[in-house]
Parts: sequence; structure tokens; C-alpha cells
Amino acid sequence: MISLTETTEEQSELPFNFVPQLFHLHKDHDLFEDGDVHRHMYLQDLYCVSEAEDKSTPSISQFACHISGCSAVFSVLEEYEHHYNSLHRHVCCSCRRSLPSARLLDVHIQEWHDSLFTILAQTQDMYQCLVEGCGQKFRTNKDRKDHLVMIHKYPPDFRFDKPKKDRRTHETKKPQQIETAMEVVDDTCGSERVHDGLSDQQELGESMETHVSEEEAAQNYAAAAAAAAGGDAGLSAALHSNKHANSEMPKPQYSYRVPTTVCFGHGSVRGFRGRRGRRK
Amino acid sequence: MWRLNRVRYKNVGQSSKSSEELRLKRREQEKALRQARRDKQLVSKRLLLNEDEEVTMETTSGEQDVVSLLYKLQQSGSERETHLKDLSKALRDPSAQLTFIKQENSMHLLVSLLTGSNTQCRLHAVRCLHELSHSIHTNVAPACLPATPYLLTYLSGQSTKFTELCLYTLGNLIPDSDVVKEKLLAQGIIPALASCMENQRHNLAVVEAVGFTLSQLLQAKDAAEKIIPTVLTSCLPSQLLSVLTPDPKFGLAPAIECAWCLHYLACSKDGRELLAQGALLQCSSLLSSLGGAEGSKEGMELLVCPLLRCVGNLLSFCPVNSLSSQVGDVRLVVALCAFLQAYLHTQPALARESAWVLNNLTAHSGEFCSALLTFNLVPGLMQLLLFSQGINTMILRILANVAHKKKELSVQMVHLGLLSTLCSTLKMADQEMVTLSLEVLFMLVVSGPQVVDEFVRLNGVPLLEAIQYNSEGEMRQRAVYLLERHLLSDSSSACTVDNVSSS
Repeated sequence: MISLTETTEEQSELPFNFVPQLFHLHKDHDLFEDGDVHRHMYLQDLYCVSEAEDKSTPSISQFACHISGCSAVFSVLEEYEHHYNSLHRHVCCSCRRSLPSARLLDVHIQEWHDSLFTILAQTQDMYQCLVEGCGQKFRTNKDRKDHLVMIHKYPPDFRFDKPKKDRRTHETKKPQQIETAMEVVDDTCGSERVHDGLSDQQELGESMETHVSEEEAAQNYAAAAAAAAGGDAGLSAALHSNKHANSEMPKPQYSYRVPTTVCFGHGSVRGFRGRRGRRK
Repeated sequence: MWRLNRVRYKNVGQSSKSSEELRLKRREQEKALRQARRDKQLVSKRLLLNEDEEVTMETTSGEQDVVSLLYKLQQSGSERETHLKDLSKALRDPSAQLTFIKQENSMHLLVSLLTGSNTQCRLHAVRCLHELSHSIHTNVAPACLPATPYLLTYLSGQSTKFTELCLYTLGNLIPDSDVVKEKLLAQGIIPALASCMENQRHNLAVVEAVGFTLSQLLQAKDAAEKIIPTVLTSCLPSQLLSVLTPDPKFGLAPAIECAWCLHYLACSKDGRELLAQGALLQCSSLLSSLGGAEGSKEGMELLVCPLLRCVGNLLSFCPVNSLSSQVGDVRLVVALCAFLQAYLHTQPALARESAWVLNNLTAHSGEFCSALLTFNLVPGLMQLLLFSQGINTMILRILANVAHKKKELSVQMVHLGLLSTLCSTLKMADQEMVTLSLEVLFMLVVSGPQVVDEFVRLNGVPLLEAIQYNSEGEMRQRAVYLLERHLLSDSSSACTVDNVSSS
């Protein structure tokens, strides 16, 4: 922003290099623009004392999410904290998926990145039920899914561990967000966002289930937002939604919403771009 | 004084009927001025009105009048004064100005009246020239060239009104064309202004006019090469500085003009020559007294602005060891913080400039850094960190300057709650803010072990973890360093991405 009169000295070991600096500003420096204009208003007899109302006052700085590839910006601290906690708090360091809770992150790491688990799973029940407090274990992914659907009344179309599939991306998305978009279901933040009343255009595709087409998604979004306004109606709504789930004309819009705590596996959003490779 | 008074009167008079109209006009004008500045064409002219005149700009006489008046002036001897007075009124009209300069011998006639023995005619003639110099047409100023040597000569006269008119006319002619400016320089305008100011230093209306004319010269594009060196070797700088003691009866206007001249001098590369004349001391003590005055006077910001710039730029020339003698009282920091708070909402640009001066003041001086804490100004500064538009980065630099000086000062700032403020700034979207915040955090952390505990207690660790993943490498590096070397070793309780993934 300002031309330096002194060069900062390089320090090789420390990444910190703050040195107090004096700034000499030339006549045409940008910092002087407003003052110069004001001066010439005075010279041209346009000086006016009580003109404070229509001046732009400095606004509060915006907070940004610092996760690379995430361009969310907030003006309220709570919004940021909520965003960080729900999207970037529990992130798998191997595949950079974001999971909604520490427990699900642990489960994810075991099942996806732990070779011991893979070996043990061949001989014993290793797949934990996703519902907290249930404690049951299953031999396969499929068994667990059946259990979740039968006992815990999960919607059968809930994508527990479906293989990754390609999906056409929303045209407004920037290239760097394509990856995120392809990892479609992202109900962790999707339903929460609706809850918060945030309606970011970019989020549309993500917050909808896979089988809802883009066009429908856009239409349904508003309705879903209204429907979800009642707060955590999600779970019970999802229970009733099973039969409607695959019909092409979804009547209760909230039928596509899935409880926030059960996002898992490939359905999870990627917290980071993989571009930079794994950290360390 | 006449100016501020008159302007105030104008506003009062018009506020009832067309304040909205006026505001609209102002906004349009402001936009035009802003564009002009970007194009480096920002120039202004001043019109000195007769005492008996209303501000209304209506022009009754048309082009026809100019031709007939000129004809009459060439003829008669008895009614010349009235005709000349009428001509000066007619020349306010831009098209009449063009008609006038196209008439054969018109300027020649005007010059002869300007230099004639009839003093009343001289006054009316110079008013005609003044109206012409205020023209919006750029070809009018070169047409006035035959009169300039006489205008310069009259600067050594004693008649206030007449000298004022000469000065404002010259000042208006300067920005219009390089030809005029070159001629005026060759004709010795700088020594003429210097002697005029010296001779009439007690006549504040003339001083103001000299200030205006000189400021017009100093704003010229090539001022740095040709004009500023000559001005600096004349007696003008010391004259300008002596005006920086505003007369309570006359008002701020002369000081405003002279302070702007000093600003144009101080932002050139030769600005350091002003230091030897004690300019820094003069400007900063006037700023201190303006900042200390309870209740801001009307129009005070018009003077504060150029003074701040002088102090800011002069500080950058000032050697560290002579800083305290050049600046004088440490209470300048109190005044600067007062401006910051007072102008934050009404004149954010001035608040920004105040912050810049405060940065230059604290950059190399432990004395001024300590003063910020002694006068309990740090809490007020910390509040400003939440505002955008360039104010917050400068404020953070100031706090970084303080932290950089002594560990004790860092510890004091931690006690005042700087860490929780940093927790807010670390989340900002502005990369410069975040990088600076990390720098300050580092300085605080190395100042004592209790700082780390406090930062962990404020839940600061997740913020640094977040920055670890920022796309900006410099930020990432700093955050990782802080986490690995200072924070994680001390706080096993902090749940981090690293911990979870390794479990």
C-alpha cells in the first residue's frame, strides 16, 4: 500500500521480519487523495462545515476464512467461528475431508486410512455404528447401512459410503471449487447454512442432494430454506421422507434434508483443495 | 477570515431553500475533483469578491456590453471609471471573457489603465484582470501575459486590496499554461512573493494571498526541479513558518494557506532543508495546541490536514538522535490520538493521515512509544483495529512499533488486552492485517511465558491452525513457526489437526 523508504532486512532463520518503518509520502500519494479534494473544495468555495452525514465512514473489517480454497467472508465473529467449526474443524489430514465430529473423524481415519483396521475387519466386526451411543459393530459397510436404516431410521438413499462419482458442476463455480462440488453431499454445512439464513449462490448445488437436478435445486432452495426454518426438523423430516426420496416431484421439500450429524464417507465435503499436496 | 466568514454566511443563507440542491452540486463537484486529481489536473482558482457584492454569480451583461464598453473606454475621459467598473462586472461571464480577448488592443488598453495615474482606474483594471484570470477557458490566461510584469511590480505596493487582487490574479494565471508559468518565473515571481510577504507580514489578508499564490506555484508538475529549490533558498520558508501562529481575531485562513505551501515543500525530496529551519517543531507544536483545544473549532480540519502532512513527511527526514529536540513535547501523541478519534467518522481520510504520522513518530523513538502507554492511549488505538479502509493496518504498525521497542512495553500492552484484539485481527480478510498481527503476536510471545498461556486461554490456537492452511505462504510460515516453536510445546491440551490425525 505504501512505498517503503527503507528495505526490510532479510532474516533467514526467523519467518518474522517486522522492522519499524518511516514512510515518506510524495505529493500524489493515494493517502492524500481525500485531503487534496477537500482542500480544493475549500478553494472553490464549496467548503461546508456540516457535511459529515454523507461521508463514508470506515466500516468494520471483514473476517475471512483462511483455509485455502475457501473464500467465505464474514462480518460477525460468530458466523466465522460457526463456519470454521462446521467445515474445517474435523479434517482428515490424509484426504482432507471434513467431518462433522471428532468421533466421525476417528471412524473415518480408521476405515479409510488404517491398514490394521483393514486386516482386522476381515476377521471381526469392525464397522462402528455411526449413531453416537449405539456402540454396535458390524462386519461390513453394508451391514451397518442396513442397521442404520432399520434401527435408526436413516433414509435408505442416504449416501453412507457410495463410491465417488462424477457429476456435472454448477456453471457459476470457480475452477478451484469443482472438487468440492463433486463431493456432492455436504449436509453438514448445507442444512446449517439454511438454518442461518445464508443464501450464497455458490452453495446451492452443494446443499442439495445428488439426485436433485441443478434447476430443481435452485427452485427448491427457497422452499427448503423456509421449511427448514423450524430448526432441527431435519431428522424427523428425513424419516418421513424415505418414500418420496426418489420420486421426481418432491412434495415435502425438506425430504431431501439429512440430519447434520450423519454425513460420512465419500459424501463428506473436502475441506481443502488437494492442490498443494499433503501438509508435511 | 473573510473567506471562512463569508462561506459560513453563504451556507446559512442557502440552507433553508436549497440545501439538497447544494449538496447535490457539491457531490458532483467532488467527483469531478477526484477525477481531476487522478489525471493530475487538480487545480483551483479563487475569486475575490467585492465587499458590497452578493455571492450570486448571475451575470447581467452579455457579450454586446463588452464590445460597447471597450469602445466607450477608448473614447471618453470623464466616465472611464464607471465604464471600467461595468466592464469588470461584465467580464464575469465566460463568453464575455472570450469576446474581450478577441477584441483588438483590448489587453493593451487594460494595461494602460492598470498603469495609468488614476488610482481608481488601476483598481478597476486589476479587477478586470482578476475576472479574466478566473476564466474557465485556458486561452484567456496567455492573453493576460502583457499585464504580468506590472502585477508583479505592484506586489511591493502598500495598498492591501490592490495587492490582494494582484496576488490572486497571479495565482489564478499560474496553473492554466506552462507558458505563463515560465514567464512568471523568469519575471521573478518567487523573489517578488518573498519580499511581499516580508514587507506585509502583519497584514494577514495579504499573507493569505501570498500563501495561495505560492501554493499554486508549488503544485506545478515540474515544481520539484525548478520551483522548490528556489523557494527553499529564499526567505519564504521562514516567513511561512512564522505564520503558523494563528491570530485569534483574523482566523485560520492565512495559516491554512501557508501550511499547504509547507506541505508541498516537505513532500519533495528537498524537504529535509525545512528541518534546519525548525519546521518540525513549529508544525508539531501547533498541532499539539490544536489537538489540545477543547471542542474543535469550525474549519480546524482545514489546517490540521496540511500540518499533519508536514509533520509526517518531515519526521521521515529527521535523524533519530535529534528527534526529541526537533519534535519537542511528547504530548504530540495525545493530539494525534485525539484527531484519530475525532475525525474517524466525519473525516476518515484525516484519521488515516493521523495514524500515518503516529507511525512515523513511534517508528524509531522509544520515548514516544512509552508516551502512548503513559498517557493511556493504547486502549483507544486497539479499538480502531476493527475499522477498515487502511486505518487498521497503520494502527497495528504503531502497536508493532511499540512492541518492537521494549519487552516491558509488550507486557504492558498484553495487560491492556492486546491479545484478545489480536484474536480478532487474525481472522480478518486483509492479508496485510493478518501478517502484521502474526508479527505482533510473535513479539508479544517472546516477551514472556505468561503471554503464551494467556493466548491459549483466549482460544487463539485454532486461529493459528486455520492460518496454517492459508494459500499465502508468508502467513502460513509464520503461523506454523508460532505453533511449533511456542504454542504446541507448552499446551498439550490444545486439540489440533495434527493431534487428531496422529491418534
